[in-house]
Amino acid sequence: MTNCIEIKGLCKSYGDFSLKNINLTLPGGSILGLIGENGAGKTTTIKCILNLICRDAGEITVLGYDNVKEERLAKQDVGIVLDECFFHDTLRPRDVGKILAPAYKNWDEALYRDYLNKFGLPEKKLIKEFSRGMKMKLSLSAALAHHPKLLLLDEATAGLDPVVRDEILDEFLGFIQDEDHAILLSSHITSDLEKVADYIAYIHQGEVVLSNAKDAILDSYGRVGCTAGQLETIAPHDILRTRRGSFGCEALVKDRAAFARKYPMLLVERTTLEDIMLFVGKGEIK
Amino acid sequence: MTGLMTKDFLVMRNGLKSYLLIMVLYAVMAWLDILNFGFIITFIQVMLMVLPITAFSYDELAKWDRYAMSLPLGRGKVVGARYLFVLALTLCTTALGLGGTAMLTLVHKADAVEMLLTLEVSTTIGLLVPAIMLPLCYKLGAERARPYLYAIIFIPTIAFVLLAKAEIIDFSSLSRLEALSPSAILGGGVLLPAAGLAALAVSYLISCRVTAGKEY
Repeated sequence: MTNCIEIKGLCKSYGDFSLKNINLTLPGGSILGLIGENGAGKTTTIKCILNLICRDAGEITVLGYDNVKEERLAKQDVGIVLDECFFHDTLRPRDVGKILAPAYKNWDEALYRDYLNKFGLPEKKLIKEFSRGMKMKLSLSAALAHHPKLLLLDEATAGLDPVVRDEILDEFLGFIQDEDHAILLSSHITSDLEKVADYIAYIHQGEVVLSNAKDAILDSYGRVGCTAGQLETIAPHDILRTRRGSFGCEALVKDRAAFARKYPMLLVERTTLEDIMLFVGKGEIK
Repeated sequence: MTGLMTKDFLVMRNGLKSYLLIMVLYAVMAWLDILNFGFIITFIQVMLMVLPITAFSYDELAKWDRYAMSLPLGRGKVVGARYLFVLALTLCTTALGLGGTAMLTLVHKADAVEMLLTLEVSTTIGLLVPAIMLPLCYKLGAERARPYLYAIIFIPTIAFVLLAKAEIIDFSSLSRLEALSPSAILGGGVLLPAAGLAALAVSYLISCRVTAGKEY
């Protein structure tokens, strides 16, 4: 199994914000979910991968090619769905095919039309008349029509209703059935990532604060609900973050089983990616 | 690159259809001697100047550049597509201008040399203006670059008029051109669009340099 994306020591500074030493690996046949707050650096990381911005340091390889020196080769087998639909309102889906076909050597017009039919997108309708869901489906059709090996998706499911999101997530799961295929999916909707992602990388204030297999994270991390008094009895090195509210306190623990053995009187539950984000984003270090 | 050029034509197809319709109308009016052929040529020239900048405006509206730069083309080809669009427009309008000249010469026995010279000059201006404007659009964006379009059209025009009124430029010397043979005039005139093309080539290199350092 080869790596579809390898990021080593990526740094990018904007003055008031910087990506600090990002290291990420996306193996073939898997989905890497990139989570983080607004402005944490997810889109900046994706922009660096696509060479839309100049990095200050680090190396990025996409499908084995250096993303700067061999940019055109690296992007030939990459499908892109960014946070918006970039196709002009005055275009129609069939026009999009005409525009993109010369850009990709593997463009498959029949496949593109199949996707349009599958997603129920009328070929001759103006894009300005499309809903947000339809626009994202159009972007996805365009991203998949050249038989890509890697999909880069930046907030591709944001603003979509659960039915459309589920439809699109099914498409992603179908896509990675091939061991050579992989998806990097940046999203705020952590429940989507819990459904489909194999790996999770959490970027917080420009740094990767958590990167592991999704199942390992969800099986290992735990949330402890307790009183302020009980929280004081927990050793600081046994908890990662705490949150104090008017109705009690919560703590995030890294090893749920070990914590339960050490503190049998405290209830420790499975946690979610959203909980982890809330603890890291809003919580405190004890 | 051809795909992106096609995109420009597709995005502006409604505008282009309107332009084409107006041009046909003007051609009929020129046929009926209601309208001067020079006016049609000037109209073509203005169209050439404005369309590539309009294309930038549409792209800005759709945030197209970020997507285009994500395609496996490289920045040079994305920029090249816009210049190809300018060249394609020039070819179309020159062909229409030549068609109009042929029509009026054959039917109305009009002065072909004068019309061809007008066409050469207007084509040159139609190439020079995008040559200046395109790097500005890449650098500043269409809306911030648009005032420069008016500046590069109106400042030289006003300067010429003022210099002529002050008798610093003597247009009477142009009458010497009448002593030259038509083939010499037209042959020399061909150098003008050639210079326009050269300017466009230099402009392309400048735009490539601008986009190379730009972040999307």
